[in-house]
Amino acid sequence: MAAPALPGHYDELRGCTTTLPTDAEKAAMAPAWRQFFSHPGTQNLADLNRRQTSLERQIRDNGISYNVYADSSNPQRPWSLDLFPLILQADEWCQIEAGVLQRVRLLEHILQDAYGPRELLRDGLLPAALVQGHPGYVRALHGLEPVGGNRLQLCAFDLARGPSGRWAVVAQRTQAPSGLGYALENRLSISQLFPQAFESLQVQRLASSYRALINGLRSMSPAGADAHIALLTPGPYNETYFEQVYLTRYLGITLVQGNDLTVRDDRLFLRTLRGLEPVHVLIKRVDDAWCDPLELRSDSSLGVPGLLQTLRSGNLLMANMPGSAFLESVGMLGFMPELSRRLLGKELLLPSWPTWWCGEHAALQSATAHLAQCAIQPTYTGSTLHGNFSGLQCSTLDTHERTAWLERLHESGEAFTLQQEQPLSQMPTWDAQSQPPRIVPREVMLRVFALTDGQQSWRVLPGGLGRIVSPQKEGISLQRGGSSADVWVRVDAERGHTVDRTTLLNKRITPATVAQYRRVITSRAAENLFWLGRHTERSENNLRLARLTLSTLGSSGQSCLPLVKWLGSLAASCSLVPVDVPSPILAQRVFTRALVAGLGRPDTTASVGFNLRSLRQVASSIRERLSQEHWGLILRTEQDFLQRCTELVDSDYATLDVLRVLDSVSANLAAMTGQQTDRMTRDDGWRLLSIGRQVERLDFLSMVLARAFESGIVAESAGFEAVLALFDSTITFHAQYQRSRDVAALLELLVVSRENPRSLGGVVQTLRGRLAKLAGDGDDSLLALTPDPNQWTLAQLCDEDAPLPALAQLFERCTRATWRVSDGVSLRYFTHTHESSRSLGA
Amino acid sequence: MLLQVTHETRYDYQPAVDMAQHVLCLRPIVTHCQQVLEHQIDVTPRPASRTERQDVFGNHLSQFSMQSPHATLRVVSHSAIVTQEPTTPTSTQPWESVREDLRYQHGMVYDPAVEFTFPSQYIPRHPEFINYARPSFQPKRPLLDAARELMQRIYQDFIYSSQSTEINTPALTALAQRKGVCQDFAQILIACLRSLGLPGRYVSGYLLTMPPPGKPRLIGSDASHAWAQVYLPDVHTAHPGQGWYDLDPTNNRDGWGAPGEDYVTVARGRDYSDVAPMRGVIHGGNRHTLHVGVTVAPVEEGAEA
Repeated sequence: MAAPALPGHYDELRGCTTTLPTDAEKAAMAPAWRQFFSHPGTQNLADLNRRQTSLERQIRDNGISYNVYADSSNPQRPWSLDLFPLILQADEWCQIEAGVLQRVRLLEHILQDAYGPRELLRDGLLPAALVQGHPGYVRALHGLEPVGGNRLQLCAFDLARGPSGRWAVVAQRTQAPSGLGYALENRLSISQLFPQAFESLQVQRLASSYRALINGLRSMSPAGADAHIALLTPGPYNETYFEQVYLTRYLGITLVQGNDLTVRDDRLFLRTLRGLEPVHVLIKRVDDAWCDPLELRSDSSLGVPGLLQTLRSGNLLMANMPGSAFLESVGMLGFMPELSRRLLGKELLLPSWPTWWCGEHAALQSATAHLAQCAIQPTYTGSTLHGNFSGLQCSTLDTHERTAWLERLHESGEAFTLQQEQPLSQMPTWDAQSQPPRIVPREVMLRVFALTDGQQSWRVLPGGLGRIVSPQKEGISLQRGGSSADVWVRVDAERGHTVDRTTLLNKRITPATVAQYRRVITSRAAENLFWLGRHTERSENNLRLARLTLSTLGSSGQSCLPLVKWLGSLAASCSLVPVDVPSPILAQRVFTRALVAGLGRPDTTASVGFNLRSLRQVASSIRERLSQEHWGLILRTEQDFLQRCTELVDSDYATLDVLRVLDSVSANLAAMTGQQTDRMTRDDGWRLLSIGRQVERLDFLSMVLARAFESGIVAESAGFEAVLALFDSTITFHAQYQRSRDVAALLELLVVSRENPRSLGGVVQTLRGRLAKLAGDGDDSLLALTPDPNQWTLAQLCDEDAPLPALAQLFERCTRATWRVSDGVSLRYFTHTHESSRSLGA
Repeated sequence: MLLQVTHETRYDYQPAVDMAQHVLCLRPIVTHCQQVLEHQIDVTPRPASRTERQDVFGNHLSQFSMQSPHATLRVVSHSAIVTQEPTTPTSTQPWESVREDLRYQHGMVYDPAVEFTFPSQYIPRHPEFINYARPSFQPKRPLLDAARELMQRIYQDFIYSSQSTEINTPALTALAQRKGVCQDFAQILIACLRSLGLPGRYVSGYLLTMPPPGKPRLIGSDASHAWAQVYLPDVHTAHPGQGWYDLDPTNNRDGWGAPGEDYVTVARGRDYSDVAPMRGVIHGGNRHTLHVGVTVAPVEEGAEA
């Protein structure tokens, strides 16, 4: 049932390379794969398809994603994971493991030399063009002794298997290697799909390596076992943000962005709701150049000014130390054998894929003979100083172009590296799209990880990331668009090894350790939570207002003019319609059209769609605090609403159709509110979310009431009912006061009552309660900014002599309180990301 | 010549800056043409912390942080320097041979100057620079002659115009418009050298200017200056550590160790970004105004330094 690999490619399934298709079909399946396919669930096509469906659902439900920068309007696509794992035998893994350990040691030596004595340059073993000529060489760190003794704490190596069946290193990743999170997530998914095969094949587990890394970092850090470890992310728009969130949750470390951190007295601190907390270890996923705007790229807003000084002062362990990017150059690969002999006195255990750096005439000369079988790669990938060349295959060049390239390589060869093209090994993958579904062979590369577990000591994660080249792509350059596979490394049973069943998923927490699980709330998370609350509430309010406006304007009877005018002015104030739209009194149809058109246009008005998008954006920055359901709901709500609005506007809609759309998003928002009130831990972060909601609610409702009394619409029955509807209090009111339309009853329920969660009194009381508990610092200056609803009496507000001024004054005080609380909270607790640091030069 | 330099930088912020960190590169280095008798940097208000260090090129850096709000930041650097009249070295090595000596071969003898042949943030390599430089770089011509002629041509072909470029104007733009300030001219000269595979270094410093006859010297009216250096391997072999030759395309002056006795060298690097006198990151302070005043004055022989 499984087609063999193409001739010339090593066949992972059969464990051999054949030159003729007929031979390939005759070759038997390798024992491990035979064992894999002998287990229930892997034997027939229908079963495999069911598992494929289940896998896709799991990925979708878990929100595993890979962001794509290019498309900012919909920047996520689901993570692509193949059904079958890549299975590696114990003996072949032993070779990989030994080779990777040797390489990470070698790279560490090269770094120590490049930032110290530079003997490798002096002795002509390494060209300066690949070290000092590489934009990733950080001169500011020359001569610095790294905290903990290593410059490299975690590295990734991309391996490929050529026709010979030997694995070779295609790429070295040291700057901010990705994949440790995806590897875990892949393992969880695939091992659950094939539990019997996973057990019987005795697959090595991953957890103990992750734990060794964390323990190793602690032991090497200046604070030892008490070290606070954080992961520096470029933020939610980074392509691998998902795995950064996943990894920090799994490892129990803090996810931070550059502006969460600050340097004081040459030490690194995290800004939290409770003040500055020291950080001792920083795992960085931000590229080196962006780490410190003071000494590196001054236009970076992703880094921390002064970070390099904390390294010089020995106060921070970084994984990895900045400055290793030059090791990633494909040009380095050809020098590794000689460097290994010199630095380790040994031959490389794991060879490099054949490459020739064109800056060396001798190398270029020997490579030109087989130029047609090579790809030209940029030596300085992504460097704007070197012309943004992204690589090409020589087989695509005609004779004339080839001559021109040869001349260019001789003239300015430093920027180019030739890499031999060879067929990659192919592994079985499940193609559910084809009819009938079948197993097809696809080219695969293997990313493996070396993790430090102490000073000058590393281990290799027994597993990794299989990266499957998409069928359209040729050659070894794995572009975005490929898929991934779990990697199963078998235990060496012959040597009596057994499976290490360590797990980090259900860590045992004892009374003694429970305190360290207290969650740090960064100032940035606090700010985003506050805005999450505001945007949710604002979406609900805008929705309710849009609904009321449309149904009032769309009703057959003649609506009373003051009511229409009042709704028009509220809609304009809430940005439901653009400022230049005429009042509904003058042009009701134009107004209605504009309102409907604006609902789902997140870019032109600040209407419902805009708020749902803002809501999603702030939520994406605090993904790590939201449940999977909550996050999924937020994504779905925005998508559904925008899509339905587009369909609506394109059609010949009736008011009822619009109301149906509004009702459905309203149900989603109610579910979101449920998530926020019921499913989140009531810590200070949640308090800020709640404060955001109450502030927004108070702002909206006091405006509604102020305008209602100004315009006198409460005297009309339709107006009276409209006010109740905006307060979502229609049912409560009529249950209590039946058909009465008495203003005193209205004020009691919507202003004075402390029991109605939407009365001004109820809102202010909740707000004051949250403020009083926030941060537990006993400072009640924020509380003082709010009015005290205990002093409000119905008698005073209904005073026949001067009811309006007293009411107007109260509404005015409530509105002012919302601004003040908002400013006060922001000033005291937030990072002020919008006014982030700026660089100066003189 | 005994020279005194005062270099004042003042930032006025509106509103006040909450926190700031700065790196200064103001302390002149010692060269075979200059000795530093005195040097001091005063920062007001007083920084929360301050550390001194040397960068990889041997320049002196001073890094400080401010951790409380301040509406003004004033940095004043005072230096007293003794300079010597530069001489002319003997150098006959053809430019192509310099390029070939620096090209990598397995087991070659490494020359640290090769670092200055690579493109850097402000000084790229580009065929346009080769086109401009080519007339001076005839086959087999000694590098020193060719580089001096290139300097003269830049001096003649370009218009000095303080309004025409910004600190971060790319060298290629300045080349195209044939206009710029000292920094642009230095970077163009270096870009020409590097595009040909030759080492070029950027120098920041000061130049003593003469007041108009009969007028007194105006305090703070001078500016910091920038010029270039070319590397001459045969000079380096004869005089280790002294292989760099100074070229000032703005004033058409050149010399071994400095373009003249009236020059003060502060720092040397690949381009402006390595030796910027003051860089920093501030938090807060929406608007700022910057005032820079430089005074270079000769001290009479026998007078107090």
